[in-house]
Amino acid sequence: MRRVLAALTAWLLSASLWGLAAPLQAQPTNSPDLALKRLLEEARARMPAACSQANADRLVKILCAKTIRIGVRDFYPLFGTRDGDKREGYEPDVGRAIGRMLGVEVEFVRVNAATRIPLLAEDRVDLVIATMGHNTQRDSQARFIRPHYYRSETIVVGPKEARVTKMADLTGRTLCVTIGNLSNAELVSQGARLMLFDEAGVLPERLKDHTCSLAAQDDSFFAYYFIDPDFAAAYASKFGFSQVPWGMAVARHGSDELGRALDLISQIFHRDGVLLDIARVNRIGTGFLEEQQKIWRGTECNTDSGSTNPACVLAPLNAQLQPTPFAASVSAFEGWLEANAHIELALPMLKTAPAWTVFKEGVTNSLILIAGALTATVIFAVLFGAAMASRLAPVRWLARLVTVTLQSSPIVLTLVIAATIVHAFFDYSDAVALAASIAALGLANGSNAGQALSEAIGTLRAEKAPSHGADLFSRALARSATQIVAFLINAAKGTPIASFIGAPELLSALTDITSFSSARATTYTLLLIFYTVVVMVVVWLCGKLRGYLEGRQLRTAAHA
Amino acid sequence: MSGQLSLFLSDFLPRFLRGMAVNFEIAIIALVIGLALGLLLALGRYRGGLARGTAASAVALMRAAPTFVVMFFLLNAIPRDMTLFGMPLALSGIMAVALSLVPYSASYISDAGLDAMRHWHDGSRLGALLFLPNVTRAFFVLVMSSSAGAAIGVTEAISVILRRAEHLPSLDERLLLFAFGIVMFGIPLQLGFALVSYVQRRLNRISRPAEPAKAA
Repeated sequence: MRRVLAALTAWLLSASLWGLAAPLQAQPTNSPDLALKRLLEEARARMPAACSQANADRLVKILCAKTIRIGVRDFYPLFGTRDGDKREGYEPDVGRAIGRMLGVEVEFVRVNAATRIPLLAEDRVDLVIATMGHNTQRDSQARFIRPHYYRSETIVVGPKEARVTKMADLTGRTLCVTIGNLSNAELVSQGARLMLFDEAGVLPERLKDHTCSLAAQDDSFFAYYFIDPDFAAAYASKFGFSQVPWGMAVARHGSDELGRALDLISQIFHRDGVLLDIARVNRIGTGFLEEQQKIWRGTECNTDSGSTNPACVLAPLNAQLQPTPFAASVSAFEGWLEANAHIELALPMLKTAPAWTVFKEGVTNSLILIAGALTATVIFAVLFGAAMASRLAPVRWLARLVTVTLQSSPIVLTLVIAATIVHAFFDYSDAVALAASIAALGLANGSNAGQALSEAIGTLRAEKAPSHGADLFSRALARSATQIVAFLINAAKGTPIASFIGAPELLSALTDITSFSSARATTYTLLLIFYTVVVMVVVWLCGKLRGYLEGRQLRTAAHA
Repeated sequence: MSGQLSLFLSDFLPRFLRGMAVNFEIAIIALVIGLALGLLLALGRYRGGLARGTAASAVALMRAAPTFVVMFFLLNAIPRDMTLFGMPLALSGIMAVALSLVPYSASYISDAGLDAMRHWHDGSRLGALLFLPNVTRAFFVLVMSSSAGAAIGVTEAISVILRRAEHLPSLDERLLLFAFGIVMFGIPLQLGFALVSYVQRRLNRISRPAEPAKAA
């Protein structure tokens, strides 16, 4: 099968390239074909003298060596794979087509996401064609060839029966994503919850074992899995977003002529359908290439200056996140700490404006959540305590039934039930998620504290304490202070679980920040310190409250 | 209807029961580690001196550490390629949840252990034996708390319920499924607490330590 595909590719390319050469005589003087021919002739005219010059352009060096070194991926199904010495996929095929255009041999070099740009800078490859998205950050690291040779987008994949068709449907739902994917920021801004993974390779498996109900990743990644009939029968791409053009790249220095030649070749390849043919042979999506072919066949773009015409080429993805006003000071502090104390501290939440906003909201919401959960616990404790100590048997039984039910429900399930009920009546919003979390935490802890309160009332009645109504209740409150305080502390400790139903507290916020930045270790360490300190403050305040209540009980007993 | 019931019995129920087994597995791991650590801390607090101060501080810190945050910390802060004596230290989801419950179990067992040591010292063996029902109580709290694993993709019982719920179209059906989960968790929990009460009564009500709060 592979041989057939290889033969077909070679035939298509030969036919396409023959087509390129044949009508050359009829080309207008500003055609990309003539510009490329002139460029190659000029470079060859400087040979062999220029071959030994250290500062010769890489195009000359390639023509002298009769070989171009191309960095490609080793395992990126459909785009670049290796079986022994044989390389297959869209990108090696594009590399071979370029080699034919230049009239040189192709030597493939293995690269990955981390090495593709350094290898260019170190002159260990002349060109990389390695699934590299062209963004504004990378523009300063490599010279990208225009027009782009492919375009990917992030797609949301899920079971066919899942009712997800647009971004708004993701609000409040959990998606599995890979850390560092720039599209994560867009998902976060839509209110989606993220489950983070280090490697994209695990996502299809996590979909199959139901760990993930939805996953978001490049369409180029999922393309391979969708050729598996079983996967395609069970899962579908729901929608796409965050489109990123892919660029071939050469070194920023010493590659001016090579870059120019490749610009022209890429332009010609689009116009003549060479890239489209290669894509079809490799069974990858062709929508973008079809669009591009129309553009590069147009008279406005099919010129020797088309690759620099903003109306013809795509802009790189703007990946620069706006820095905070104090980002430089934060970076300086990180550097100082590393230099003087050898501590590698990274504070991504303080460096970019979106992260800083999410962080501030997270801290504020956490404090609101803790205060709300404590208040709700006290209110429900009093209500449950009064109901369970009621002289009316039906009220007592009902309160006990609710308490036993809440005790039997893991807190995660209680939160989910609260969120499900609340969302049945209200649209999802941060405030609704916070309110549902406060209600669930208050109910879970308040019912237990209420039970302790009712038991204290029971013991006071058994002792025939000379008190009734509010006085009895006040004495019971003092007697059950230890239990009530324990459940108040528990409510404060439980607040991070609210992130499970989408409450935008600090854990949620920092998970979002780490999904599109780095420094997970520092971020989660700071999170642990924050919550531990907050809980210790709550413990201290509760200790004061317990002291006050127990002191009052002693004073009441002394008066009695 | 019979088709749905058949699907429930043949597909969902076995998955749910396997999930519950994971909840118990997590609780057992957390309890075993918590017993070892908690008893050491209890011994330190019982002996006095520097050991007492150190152990008391450690217990106070562990009491304040929220389980859910500890779980995310363990999962994200430990480098994937970390090794200990040459052995890889990458945490599985189950181990991350179990270890996140250790601060709760160790601090609770330390408290219960310290009470038991004091009772033993005062000559009340029955009072010291209250340690056993307290450990049983902690175990069931750990089983309930292990559902936090649903947040990091551990296939325990609650995550099985939540995945199933995503495919149910109506609110009524989802609430019914959630009620099933509460009953299934409630049965062992209430039986466990009944057992604890029975043992405590049998131990002649010598000692009455504080009810533990759910790990959070």
